[in-house]
Amino acid sequence: MIPRRTTHRAGGAKNAAGSGRASHGAVNDLVIHVKVNGEARRWTTAPGDLLLDVLRREGYWGVKRGCESGECGACAVLVDGEPVNSCLMFAVQADGRSLTTVEGVADRERLDVVQEAFLDHGAVQCGYCTPAMVLVTRALLARSPHPSEAEVREALGGVFCRCTGYKKPVEAVLAAAKAGGGERSRPAARRAARAGKGARR
Amino acid sequence: MFDQLRAFHRPTSVATALRLSESERRAGGRGTFVAGGTDVVVAGDRSLRWIVDLTKLPLRYVKRRGRGLAIGATSTFADLEASAAVRRLADGIVAEAAGTAGSRQIRAMGTAGGNLANASPAADLAPPFLALDAAVVIAGGGGGGGGRRTVPLDAFFRGPNRTVLNGGLLVEIVIPAAPAPRGGRAAWSFQKLGRLESDIAVVSAAAGVAVDAGGRCTWARLALGAVGPTPLRARRAEALLVGKPFDRAAAEAAAARAAEEAKPVTDVRGTAAYRREMSRVLVARALAECLERMGRTR
Repeated sequence: MIPRRTTHRAGGAKNAAGSGRASHGAVNDLVIHVKVNGEARRWTTAPGDLLLDVLRREGYWGVKRGCESGECGACAVLVDGEPVNSCLMFAVQADGRSLTTVEGVADRERLDVVQEAFLDHGAVQCGYCTPAMVLVTRALLARSPHPSEAEVREALGGVFCRCTGYKKPVEAVLAAAKAGGGERSRPAARRAARAGKGARR
Repeated sequence: MFDQLRAFHRPTSVATALRLSESERRAGGRGTFVAGGTDVVVAGDRSLRWIVDLTKLPLRYVKRRGRGLAIGATSTFADLEASAAVRRLADGIVAEAAGTAGSRQIRAMGTAGGNLANASPAADLAPPFLALDAAVVIAGGGGGGGGRRTVPLDAFFRGPNRTVLNGGLLVEIVIPAAPAPRGGRAAWSFQKLGRLESDIAVVSAAAGVAVDAGGRCTWARLALGAVGPTPLRARRAEALLVGKPFDRAAAEAAAARAAEEAKPVTDVRGTAAYRREMSRVLVARALAECLERMGRTR
C-alpha cells in the first residue's frame, strides 16, 4: 500500500496517489506544501522543478541564481535550519519542510543582528552573495554560537564573493557572534522576540 | 532543467522504493534514485523520465553494530561530521573526509550512500571506508526480488560511475570492528590534495596500520582516490608493511610501492605523472601521521 503522498506524478494533482500513468498531461500540477519564513504556502510545481526556480517564481528574489551547479552558494536557503543550495534540490523534496530565505530574517523593519553586523562592517559590496552569506551565518551561529575565525571562514567559503573577498564578512560574522547572534538564531529566542518578550540589547 | 521528468516518487520504505523503481524500469524510460542531488542534479541528465527520491526512507542513522558501526545510506556528510561515534572511529578519518566533501551546503545535502553509489574515482568517503574494510548492503537489484546482499566495498566499484548495484539500492555501510592488537597500537590517517580542501580531490589517500607490542606491523590498509578508474587499495604496498617493524623506512618504501600501483590518468585537475608522484607523497604523509599517532616517530 502506497501512502497517499508517495508519488508526485505529473498529469493532475488528483493523481498524486500514483494511480495511472499520465504521459501527456500538463506537467505544472504537482502540489507541495511548505512553510516559508514561518508562513504556510501551497505551491504547484512540475516534477523537474528545482527549488531555486520555484522560490524565485514565487517572489523570493533574495534567493539568487548563480552557477546553478552547486558551486557558488548564491542560491543558499535554510531547510529546517540547515543551509542548502536550492539549485540542487528538487522543489518536491521541500514538501512538508520549513524554509528560510533572507526575506524572513528581519523582524519586519527590524534587521537581524547578522544583517546589522554586515552593514556596520561594510561587508556588502554588490550585494549579490549577501543574502546567502547572511543565511549561512545564521545557520553557523545556531550550531556554534561562538565560532572561531577558521569556522567562520569555512562556513562563508560555501558562498562565493567575486567583488572583494571575505575579510569584512568574516569580521561581521565574528561581531554578530559577539553581539549574541547565536543566541538569537535559536528558535526559542526568536519566538520570544516575536512575542515581544525578548528585549533587544 | 529536468523537463522530461514525469514522475517523482517519494517512498517511505525501501521495499516501496524498489518496487517503484522496478515498475518504472519495466515501463521503460530513463530514471534514477536521488538523495541529496549533489551528483544527480549537477550531472543534469535532461532525458530523465522518473526519479525515486530516497530522502524519506528511514536510512539516516549511525548505529553501533557489535564493535563496529552501521551507517544508513542517506546520512549526510554533515551527519557523519557531527556523529560522536564516527568522530571516534579510526582516528576520525571518516568524519575528516566527510568534512572535506565540499561546502557546508553540499555537506548538508550529499549522502554517504550517494557518494559511494555515484562511484566517482575521487569520492571522498571511499578511501577511508576502504581502509576500514567497509562493506555495503544492497537491497534488490539484479532482476527482481527484494533480497539483500552484502558486498565488500573493495568489490563494489566497477569503473568510473559503475558499480555492482545493477538496479539495487545501497541501504547501509557496515564497518567492522577495527583491529585492536593486544598490547599493540592501531592508527589511521586521511590525506587529501585538492586546489582547496573542499574541492574535488586530485589525489586522496587513507591509511590504517596496526602494530604488535614490539612495533611489528600486523595489519595494514592503504587506499587511494582519484588515481584510477575506481578508488583502489594498494595491496602490494600493504603487503610490504606487514610482518616488518613499522618505521619511517618501511613507510617510505610502502609509499613508493603504492605509487607504482596507482593507475592515474591526465585530466583538468592534474597529469598522470603528477598524480602518481602525489600518491607517493600522500601515502608517505598518511603513514607518517600513523606513526605519530602511535607515538613512535623513530
